[in-house]
Amino acid sequence: MTDRDVDERLLRLNAALDGELDAMGSLEFEREMRDDAALAAEYRRLTTLRDAVRRHVPREAAPQALADRIAALTAPPAQATAAPTATVIPFRRRAWLDSRALAMAASFAVLGFAVGVGLTSLHAPSGSGDVAQHLVSDFARAEIAGQPFDVASSDRHTVKPWLANRTTVSGTIVDLAPEGFPLVGGRVTIVDRVPTPTLVYRHNEHVVALTELPLDAKGVRGGTGGMETIDGYHVARWSDANLTYVAVSDMDEKALGEFVEAFRRGGASATEPAKP
Amino acid sequence: MSSSIAEQRFREIVPPLLDDAYSLAKWLSRNPTDAEDIVQDAALRALQALSSVSVDRPKPWFLAIVRNAAMTFMARNRRKTVAYVGDMADLETLDLPQGDDAAPNPEQELIALQDGERLRQAIASLASPFLETLVMRDINGLSYREIAEATETPVGTVMSRLARARAMLARTLRSEP
Repeated sequence: MTDRDVDERLLRLNAALDGELDAMGSLEFEREMRDDAALAAEYRRLTTLRDAVRRHVPREAAPQALADRIAALTAPPAQATAAPTATVIPFRRRAWLDSRALAMAASFAVLGFAVGVGLTSLHAPSGSGDVAQHLVSDFARAEIAGQPFDVASSDRHTVKPWLANRTTVSGTIVDLAPEGFPLVGGRVTIVDRVPTPTLVYRHNEHVVALTELPLDAKGVRGGTGGMETIDGYHVARWSDANLTYVAVSDMDEKALGEFVEAFRRGGASATEPAKP
Repeated sequence: MSSSIAEQRFREIVPPLLDDAYSLAKWLSRNPTDAEDIVQDAALRALQALSSVSVDRPKPWFLAIVRNAAMTFMARNRRKTVAYVGDMADLETLDLPQGDDAAPNPEQELIALQDGERLRQAIASLASPFLETLVMRDINGLSYREIAEATETPVGTVMSRLARARAMLARTLRSEP
C-alpha cells in the first residue's frame, strides 16, 4: 500500500465517521467494512475516540456575565425607535399606553414612546430559580420603557407565524377581543437562552404579557400553577399538555383570573379541528 | 436607520451561538478570561459587519469572526505558546505511519479515553490548525464545508487536518502512561 492509499483510506474513514460521504459512497464503504476486518476495527476505534471527545469535551456554556455584555451591545431598554424589518409591522404606541407611561416615567418622555424592536433577554438561574421573577422584572421594565413588540398586530394570523419562525416554541394564540382582551402584539423573550414567544394583550388601561414556555423549561415550577404576586404584579401560571404559560399583568387578580380562564377555554377549542 | 436592522439581525444570530463561540475561543486561547474578551470583540465585529453584509449561514460566519478575533488577540498579546501556524506545506500532508502503531496498545488508548483530563490535555497539545479543525467539528458540530468556510481553507485541507488531528490524539493517548 502506498502512502497515498493510506491517506485516502484514512480520509474516507473520517469522512464516513462524520457523515460526509454521499449515499453511494456510504454504501460502498459499508460493503468494504464487511469484507475488511481491519477497516472495520479502525472505524470502531475512531468512533470511540470521537465519542470520548464529545463526552469529555462538551460545548461549554458562556458565562452569564459575557452573555449580559453581548446583550447590552444592542437595545438599551429605553431606546426609542427602531426601523422595522420587512416582517415587522410598524407600530406606534397607543394613546392609552402613552398616558400611562408618561405618568410612570416622565423622564423618559423626551425619548418619545415609539416602540423599539425589542428583544429582551432574561436568564433564569439554573436549578431552583424561578423564571416568573425574571418575567416580572421584564414586565416592570417594559412598563416604564414601553412594552416592546417585535410584531405589532391584533391579528393572530400575523403574530403566530411571525413568532413561530423565530422561536422554538410553537405557541398558542387565542383571539380574546370578544372577552375584552384584544391582542396588541408579540415579542421574542429569551428565557435561559431559548427564544420564547410572549404575547401582549390589553384590557382597558392594563396589559398582560403572556410567555409560553416548553414544559421542561428551566426555572418553571411544576404543579398546577396558580396565582401569585411578585413585586406588586400579579402572575398566573398554568400548563396544558404542551406548554407552560406565565402571565404577568398589572391588572387586578380578578381580571387576570378572567383572562386566564378565557385563554384556557379558547386554547382548548383552538386545538380542535378548525371550524369552517 | 440601518443600524437598527443590523441590531435586530445581531440579536437573532449572535446570542444563540454564544456557547459555541465561547467554547471555540476558550480552546484557541486556552484561557477562559481571554476567551470572554475574544468573544466580545468578535460580537462587536459581527455587529459592525451586519450593517453591510447579509448572512446565509450564521454559524460558520460567526465562528469565522471568533477565530479571526482569537488570532488577532493572540498576536496582540504575544502569546508565543500558541503561535498560529499558517498554511505551511507540511500541515497538508498526512504523514501518518498508522499501519505500524495502530496495533500495539489499543487497550491503553481505550483506558486513556475514560480519563477526561488526559483527553483534554491531549487535545490542548495539538497545534492550532489541527485544534481548531477538531473543535469546530466535534464540539461546534460544523460540517466539513462549514469548517472550510470558517477557516478559509480548502475542504481537502480540512479533511486531512481533521484526520491527522484524530490520529495524533489517538497516538498521544496510546503512548503516555
